[in-house]
Amino acid sequence: MSVSTVRSGTNLRLYILAGVFVLWCCAICVRLVYLQVFRYGTFEQRAQHQQQRTEEVSARRGIIYDRAGRELAMSINVDSVFAVPAEMPKPTSTISLIARITKQDPRELLPRCEAAKTFCWLARKPDPEISARIRSLNLRGVYFQKESKRYYPKNELAAQVLGYVGMDDAGLSGIEGEYEGQLHGRPGQMLISVDARKRWFGSVEKQPEPGENVVLTIDEKIQYIAERELETAMQQTHAISGTVIVENPRTGEILALANRPTFNPNLSRQINPEKLKNHAVSDVYEPGSTFKLVTISGALEEKVTRPDEVFDCQMGSIVYNGMRIRDSKPHGLLPVSDVLAESSDVGSIKIALRLGEERFYKYIRSFGFGQQTGIELPGETRGLTKPVSRWSKVSIAAISMGQEIGITPLQLVGLVSTMANDGVYVAPRIVAATTQPQSAPQTIAFHPANERRVISTFTAAEMRQMMQGVVLHGTGKKALLIGYSSAGKTGTAQKVDPATRAYSHTKYVASFAGFAPVNNPAVTIAVVLDSAVGLHQGGQVSAPVFTRIAQQVLEYLHTPHDLEIPASRQVWLAQAKASEKDLEEGSPDHPGEAIDAAESASNDAIAPALPEKRSAAAAQSNSRDDHAATVSRIVPASLRQTSRSTSFSQTASGANSQLLTSSAATLPANGTVVLDVEQGGISVPSFVGKSVRSAIEIAELSGLDLEIVGSGVAQQQSPPPGAHVASGAKITVKFRR
Amino acid sequence: MSRNVSFRDFDWVLVTFVLIICALGVIEIRSATLHTKFAGVHVKQIYWIVGGLAGMLLVSVVNYQVLLERVHWMYIGAVASLMTVLLFGQKYLGARRWVKLPGGNHFQPSEWVKLILILAVAKYFADLQSRELSWSDFVKAGAIVGVPMLMVLAQPDLGTALTYLPIAIVGLFLGGIRWKQALVIVMLAGLAMPLAWHHMKDYQKQRLISFMAPDSDPRGAGYHVKQSEIAVGSGGLWGSSSGSQTHLAFLPEPHTDFIFAAFSEEHGFVGALAVLLLYFIVLMRLTQNAQTAPDRAGTFIVMGVVAVLTFHILVNIGMVVGFMPVTGIPLPLMSYGGSSVLFMFLALGMVMNVRMRRFVN
Repeated sequence: MSVSTVRSGTNLRLYILAGVFVLWCCAICVRLVYLQVFRYGTFEQRAQHQQQRTEEVSARRGIIYDRAGRELAMSINVDSVFAVPAEMPKPTSTISLIARITKQDPRELLPRCEAAKTFCWLARKPDPEISARIRSLNLRGVYFQKESKRYYPKNELAAQVLGYVGMDDAGLSGIEGEYEGQLHGRPGQMLISVDARKRWFGSVEKQPEPGENVVLTIDEKIQYIAERELETAMQQTHAISGTVIVENPRTGEILALANRPTFNPNLSRQINPEKLKNHAVSDVYEPGSTFKLVTISGALEEKVTRPDEVFDCQMGSIVYNGMRIRDSKPHGLLPVSDVLAESSDVGSIKIALRLGEERFYKYIRSFGFGQQTGIELPGETRGLTKPVSRWSKVSIAAISMGQEIGITPLQLVGLVSTMANDGVYVAPRIVAATTQPQSAPQTIAFHPANERRVISTFTAAEMRQMMQGVVLHGTGKKALLIGYSSAGKTGTAQKVDPATRAYSHTKYVASFAGFAPVNNPAVTIAVVLDSAVGLHQGGQVSAPVFTRIAQQVLEYLHTPHDLEIPASRQVWLAQAKASEKDLEEGSPDHPGEAIDAAESASNDAIAPALPEKRSAAAAQSNSRDDHAATVSRIVPASLRQTSRSTSFSQTASGANSQLLTSSAATLPANGTVVLDVEQGGISVPSFVGKSVRSAIEIAELSGLDLEIVGSGVAQQQSPPPGAHVASGAKITVKFRR
Repeated sequence: MSRNVSFRDFDWVLVTFVLIICALGVIEIRSATLHTKFAGVHVKQIYWIVGGLAGMLLVSVVNYQVLLERVHWMYIGAVASLMTVLLFGQKYLGARRWVKLPGGNHFQPSEWVKLILILAVAKYFADLQSRELSWSDFVKAGAIVGVPMLMVLAQPDLGTALTYLPIAIVGLFLGGIRWKQALVIVMLAGLAMPLAWHHMKDYQKQRLISFMAPDSDPRGAGYHVKQSEIAVGSGGLWGSSSGSQTHLAFLPEPHTDFIFAAFSEEHGFVGALAVLLLYFIVLMRLTQNAQTAPDRAGTFIVMGVVAVLTFHILVNIGMVVGFMPVTGIPLPLMSYGGSSVLFMFLALGMVMNVRMRRFVN
C-alpha cells in the first residue's frame, strides 16, 4: 500500500516534471516562431549587413588618344598594398618596415593602422618596384589589391589639356575633368562576404563597364613641336607664363595647345594650381595690337575705308576726348595696310572712329569676343567686353588698339582663323570624338558646326594680304618662313599692375597670331608670352616662336610649299654664300624679303640646319631609290598636292620621316640624330643616362619606336647604340631610379 | 539473474532516436566546420559515438544493483579525481578542467562525476524508503551533490557545476519533498543569490548583464547572444541555404555550444522543430523507462539521467534563442565533444541497464 502510494506519488511527480518540460518546449517553439517567422526579415537583413560588403570595382578609365590614335593617357593596373593589422604578429615593426620601403613617415602611418585593426592602406598605387619589394618580403597580414592607375606615357605633353586624376580615379582638370562622366565608366560591384575576422570569403561580381575613350584633335607630334618651342622661348625670354595654340583654321580643330609652366600629370602630388592653369582658355589679357585686326576688318567690311586709303598718323600722337595717345614710333601718312603693318595706334583709332561704336561692337561680338568659344575644356572664360552702353568717351579709342578689353588666347586664334578661313568663324574644338571602349581608333570625321560668316570672302582676302604685309615689311618680320608665305599680327600689351591699377612699364604680354600659307592656310598659330624679360615685343619674342613652330608643323603636315622651290634654293644658296659676299639691300620683291628674313632669322637656329638639309637633298638626288623615309621631304611641294586641311591621315613612317625633317631643321648638324642613307637605316642613338622624357624625344627625333621599361634613368638599351635599324624600329630601354 | 537479461529488452526505439539526433549533430558539425581549422572533426565525433555505443553496451551489462552497492567507492574515486584536476590539471582558457592522459588525450573528470552522482543520489533516496524527508536528509543529499559541485566551481566551471544541481533537485522532488520544504529551499536560494553574485567572476557577471540587456554591448559580451539570434532568425521557415552566419564565423562555437543555432540557420524553423521533437521523444521514452523501472533506485537512476539531459537541453537551447545567459553547456548528443558524447551514452547505458532488468524482480 505504502509502496504503491509512493509509486503513484512518484508517478504524479514524474508527470509534473514532464509537464514542466512540455511547457518549456512550447516556450522555445513560440520563441522560434517569433525569431524565424515573424522577425525573419530583420534578422536576414542584419545577417547580410554584417556579412556582405558591396565594394565598388572601379571601371577601367577610358583612354585619351590624339588624333592619330596615339595614347596620351591610359590606365594600367598596379598593386596597392593594404594591411590587416590584426593578423600581423608584430604590427609595429612590420608597418615601420613597409614605411621605410615606401618612404612614408612611420609616425603618420602607424597610428592610422593601429586605429584600424582590420584594414588600412599602406601604399596606394605605388611604383611596381615598391610593391614587388613588399611582396617579396612575404609578410603576414599584408595584402595586395589591383587598382587602376592613370599613366601618362608622354609625361608633360599637353598636361593642361589632359588634366590629371586623383587617387580615387576621378578626373580633376582638363579633359580628364571635363569628360569625367564618359571616361570614368560605370563601376562594377563586388559582393564580398566578410567573415567575423574580416576575411574575404566569396565574391559575386557585377562587371564594371569601362569608360569611353576620348579622341582629341591634338596631334601628338605637333603638340610636341609646340611644347618644345615654347619651352625654348620660355628659357630665352624668362617669361612668367606662355601659351601656344595651333589650330586648323578650316575646321577649328586644335592641333596643339601648350602651356608653361607645366607639370607632369604622373606625379599628381607635385601639382599646384599655378601649373595647372590652362592659359589658353582661362587667361584674360588685354590683346593690344592684335585687336586692330577687328578694327580694320570691320571697317573694311563696312566699306568705311579701303586698304590703300591713307590716314594721317599725325607723327604718332592724337588727342581724343582729352586723352593723348602716342605711337611707339612716329608715323606720318600711312595707308590702312601700313597702319596694320606698322601697328599705328593713331591710325587704328581714326579707323575705329569712322566705323563707329555700334558697328565696332557688333564685330567684336561676332568675332567671338566676350563669349566662350565652347571648347571642350574646363575653366574657359568669356573674356571682358563691355556693351556700348557702358563705354566711356575714350573707350572706342582704347578698344581699337586692344585696350579696355580682355580676351583669351583661344579667342585670338578664333579671330585670326576667321581671316584665314575666308571670313567664316569656326568655333575651336579639341575633342574629336568619344568612342566605345573596345573600338579600334577611328578616322576623325569633321562635321562643321558653329560656323558663321563674320566678314566677306573679299574682306578676308584683303585682310590676309595686309597681314602678310605685317610679316613682310611690318612688325612681324621675324615670322617669315622658308618656302611658305605667312601672315599674322603682333601684339604687345602693357599689363595692368594690380598694385597701382595703372599700366605697367616693365610687364608686357607679347603675342603673335598668324597663319600660313597665306592663300591656303593650313595652320593658325598663336603665341602669347607673359612678362618676357628684356626683349618683350610680340614681334621680337613671340613671332620667332611662331616661325619655328609653323616651319616644322607645315613640313610635318606635308603642306605644299607656296613659295617657289627655286626661290627657296636661292635662299639656301644665298645663305651658304652669305659669309662670302654681301647681298644687296633688300629688294622689294618677295625673294629678297625672304633672304632678309633668313638673315634675320639666322639667330633662330634655322640657318645652321640648312646645309644639313641641302646635303640630305644631295644624297637624295644621288641615290633615288626606295629610301622613302628620307625621300618624302624633298619631293613634297608639287607632287603631293593632297588636301591636308580636313584630314591628316598619315602612316607612322610618314609622320616620323616628316618629323625627322623638321628636327633636322633645328638640331645642330652634329646632333645625336645620324642619318645613314647609304646603309638604309637609322643608327640607334645612345639612350643610356637619359631621362624618360629626353629618351622619348630622342626616339621621336630619330624616328624610332621606344619601349619604356621602368622609370627613372636609362640603364640598358636594346639594340645597342650604333646598330642600324629600319625607321620605326622598336628600341627597348630599361629605366631605373 | 543475469541469465534473464536479454538484449531483446534493450530500448531499440530510444537508441534509434538518439542515433538520429547524433547523425543530425554530425552533419551539422561537418557543415559548421567545413572551412575552419576544425574541418574534419565530424569524423572524430563519429568515433566518439561508436565508442559511446560500446560503452553503453558495457554499462548495460553490469547489474546496476551491483553498481549501487559499490557507489561509495566510486564516489570517493570521483572526489579524488576532481582533486587531481585541481592539483595537476591542465590549465586551458583560464580554468583547470582537463587531466592530460598519457597518449595525448585529455580527460574531463567532471563529466564522469555526473554519472556517479546520479548513482549516489539514487542510492541515497532509494535507501531512505520513507516518503517524508527530514531536514537532515536535505543536508546529506545536499552534501553528496554539493562537495563535487564546489570542487568543479573551484576549477572554475560554473556550467558543469550547475548541471549537478538538477540531479539533486530531481532526487529531492521525486524523493518526496514537501511543498513547504521546497518553498523554504527556494527562499534560501533566493537569499544566497547576492552572495553568489559577489563570488562570481567578472566574465560571469558580464554574461548575466548581457543576458538581461543584450543590446548594451553588442560587440562585447552581448556578441554571442546577438549573433546566435541573428543566425536563428535568418534561418527563416525553411532555412538559409548558404548558412552564411555559421560559415562566415560570425556565430561563435558553431559546432559545440551553438550547434543548435547553426542548425536552425541552415534548416530553419522546420528543422529546429524537428530536433526539438526528437529530444522530446527521447525524454518521454526515458521517463516511461523510469516508470517501468523494477525498483525505486532504478527510477531514480533513470530520472537522474533525464534530469541532466533535460537541464542540458533546456539551458543550451534557451541560450541559443536568448532565453538564458551564455554558459558553456553543450547540447547533448549533437554538440561536438568526446566527454559529452561518452557521458551521454554511458548514462543511456545505465538507463538500458535498468530497463533490461524491469522484469527481474
